[in-house]
Amino acid sequence: MDVLVQLILNGIMLGSMYAIISVGLTLIFGIVRVVNFAHGEFLMVGMYAVYLLSLHLGLHPYVSAVPMVLMLFAVGALVQRFIIQPLLGADEHIQIFATVGLSTALINLALLVFGADLYSVQAPGVRQPLSIGGYTVLYAQVVMLVSALVLVAGLHLFMQRTPLGRAIRATAQNRNAAQLMGVRVDRIYVIAFGLGAACVGLASALISPLFPVTPTIGTYFVLTAFVVVVLGGMRSMYGAFLGAMIIGIVDSLSGYYIAPDLKEVVYFAIFILILIFKPTGLFGFGRGTE
Amino acid sequence: MTVRVSLSEAPPAGRLAALMAWLGNPRVYTSLAALSLILVIPIVVDSPFIVHVFVTICVFAGLSTAWNIVGGYAGQLSLGHMVFYGIGAYTTALLIQHFGLTPWLGMWVGAVVSVAVSVFIGYPCFRLRGPFFALATIAFLEVVRLLAIHFHGFTGGSAGLIVPLKLGWTWMIFQDKINYLYIAFGLLLLTLAISYAIRSSRLGYYLTAVREREEAASAAGISNTGVKLKAVMISAALTSLFGSFHAMYLTFLEPETMFSLANSVSIAMFALIGGLGTVAGPLLGTVLVVPIAELARGWLGASANGLHGFVYGVVLVLITLTLPGGLAGTFGPRVTALIDRLPGRRVPPDREAPALRRMEGTPGEPVLETRDLVMKFGGLTATDHVSITLRRGEILGVIGPNGAGKTTVFNQISGFLKPTSGTVVIYDAEGRPVTPARADEYARLGVGRTFQIVQPFGKLTVIENIMIGAFMRHTSVDDARAAALRIARLVGLLHVKDVEARNLPIGDLKRLEVARTLATEPSILLLDEVMAGQNQTDTQKMVELIRTIRDTGVTVIAIEHNMQAIMSLSDRIVVIDSGKVIAEGDPQEVVRNRRVIEAYLGEDFVDAQGL
Repeated sequence: MDVLVQLILNGIMLGSMYAIISVGLTLIFGIVRVVNFAHGEFLMVGMYAVYLLSLHLGLHPYVSAVPMVLMLFAVGALVQRFIIQPLLGADEHIQIFATVGLSTALINLALLVFGADLYSVQAPGVRQPLSIGGYTVLYAQVVMLVSALVLVAGLHLFMQRTPLGRAIRATAQNRNAAQLMGVRVDRIYVIAFGLGAACVGLASALISPLFPVTPTIGTYFVLTAFVVVVLGGMRSMYGAFLGAMIIGIVDSLSGYYIAPDLKEVVYFAIFILILIFKPTGLFGFGRGTE
Repeated sequence: MTVRVSLSEAPPAGRLAALMAWLGNPRVYTSLAALSLILVIPIVVDSPFIVHVFVTICVFAGLSTAWNIVGGYAGQLSLGHMVFYGIGAYTTALLIQHFGLTPWLGMWVGAVVSVAVSVFIGYPCFRLRGPFFALATIAFLEVVRLLAIHFHGFTGGSAGLIVPLKLGWTWMIFQDKINYLYIAFGLLLLTLAISYAIRSSRLGYYLTAVREREEAASAAGISNTGVKLKAVMISAALTSLFGSFHAMYLTFLEPETMFSLANSVSIAMFALIGGLGTVAGPLLGTVLVVPIAELARGWLGASANGLHGFVYGVVLVLITLTLPGGLAGTFGPRVTALIDRLPGRRVPPDREAPALRRMEGTPGEPVLETRDLVMKFGGLTATDHVSITLRRGEILGVIGPNGAGKTTVFNQISGFLKPTSGTVVIYDAEGRPVTPARADEYARLGVGRTFQIVQPFGKLTVIENIMIGAFMRHTSVDDARAAALRIARLVGLLHVKDVEARNLPIGDLKRLEVARTLATEPSILLLDEVMAGQNQTDTQKMVELIRTIRDTGVTVIAIEHNMQAIMSLSDRIVVIDSGKVIAEGDPQEVVRNRRVIEAYLGEDFVDAQGL
């Protein structure tokens, strides 16, 4: 029983990490209707930047969160403006290829610049264990969970309470109608893509103390994030959050009870089954495969 | 290397003269000459490095060509295609290791396994659209890769598997690397030949139809899933063969490289750069891009790690932004036109099929019946106990206000919607009652339909659009073309036969809907507002056309808002309002029916007129 509770606790901590990445992916898909295959590479870029800031300026990764959010917002906005926007009218294939191409280019650029070596960021104190009622979590994991909750709550308030948030929701629901009401849809898309990428900027600062950065770290996380997004119904931030918790727990439990190297098999299997049998996601937040 | 292999006539087997004539076609001889360079250059240059580069070109061009059958022709963007390559490689290697089976046989065992896996993956995933299909294929690739690592006792796991080094042709392992090139080139030729054969056959047209519009494809009698499965099975088998060969060439297998996501993306990328859905595109893309990678590796060594991938990615983004048709798609037609100016080309004359015999059957007998059709969408009852009988040889008009549920009835009697309750019965050629399960089965039983909102295959020409319908009764391209030409003349589209459908005005598009449906040689024709948006002259022509069609023995049921036309045309009229049949009878009777006037003009009008 103790083991099970500890595993679930670990799962929730892991889930909060996936949640931050997946909420960003969901924002981009839900609003711009583009699946960003380069999402993981944004994370990778952020993690290298955190590493460089820590190495050269001695910045603590958590301090880097602010510049990372701003930098990734800019990266996302630029990608939307100069790559996705010209392709909005094109075949879906072409859009997929564009983000896949971007992903390939970024992975290999990192390989070219940094090589295949692992780089760890020094972050004093954050890997210390914290004891809660006999169970152990890392300080960094608690920060992650709190950040994920604050992020979702903040985005919720932003979407519901601000004029810009309303314009974004309107655009997501019906692009043409929003345009007729005077919403500048292209600008909304740039902001939405930027926000989605900014989530990854936050994630890169929080993940850096826990995982060493490599050129392919993004692929590792983003495949999981795709599973989460599909589980959550593809367009719902809240669905993505819940989906992330589920995948975190599944990851933690199957790693222990089945085999550590088969945990991905378990959630990819869930992913395929959900895609095929319940394409609206587990909680019915989404609208399926169209 | 810029030759687009698109021959228009194939050699009848065993006839020397015909073969010579085929070889005399400039498209054939320039393609073959260009292809032979892949073999000639490395033999002449005679450097191990150049041989390696060309073997790699053959393998990746072959993989990309095989991928293109699914990703290009069928439009199913698989990004996990290396799963079949890996299966081919491991099957062959393990069969040598455990059973001493020669790779010449092992590669076919691998292909069979791959085909089985492709059906297992394809069948459930084909209902997914665009990015979700791509994600599912990535997930399958990852699962297989992780399983290959996990079951290391069997596969060697991450440590890898070394192919037993037995030299000679029996074991496909050679000291002299040029032998590998012969095999790789042979496999490439096989793959190109199959890809070309598909492109220029009924299957090729069907795949395009399914890629462009699944609904219209069903209406033309095409089983969408069946056609896609054929494509993925062929593609998986070919991909697997290259995997088997490459394993013998590399002699070392590890899950990371055998089930590689990066390589899966690369082969798709080569096809896009060269031209998605063209025969020569994938080869062209590979020839342009792969040497960059191999030369970078050869000259710069490990310091250039990542350089080729970076170039790949940048090229891919640039192509999507500037040349989404790829090289062959953008420049292909111009190059082909140039090649056609070389000596030796003969264009075969257009052949038109003779008119069809009149259909058999006793006029007046029922050919289609609906029994108490009910269709509910959530709380809305779109059709409410609709029972209609269609009799052979008649023209039945269906009228009713907008939103009355007419098209919903059509969707049920052509298999596009399953009724909530009630049945549709079709009487087949022998007079037996049948209820088909899917839209394409309705079409093959002889129920042809048009769509109210036209559904052309936009990137195909008018004649090719009609051919998609004609393929239901004709297997060969020539016969389908002849039948399509006859229909084009009948409906008055002959003058635009080579125009891409997306460039047609609405009147011609409506006629194209009718033409494509007629080409399936239906015995029952469902026309959904084919006169909407037509001018007076065109409407008159359409009325005459429908009469001509009926005179060949076809039974017609038509939804129409053009009252004058439908009243003069129909033998019988059914009026539908709010999902119910409110009147039925001959046209003169129906127009005087109180309930019909009410439905169209409201109760007030009826009262005011004192009817």
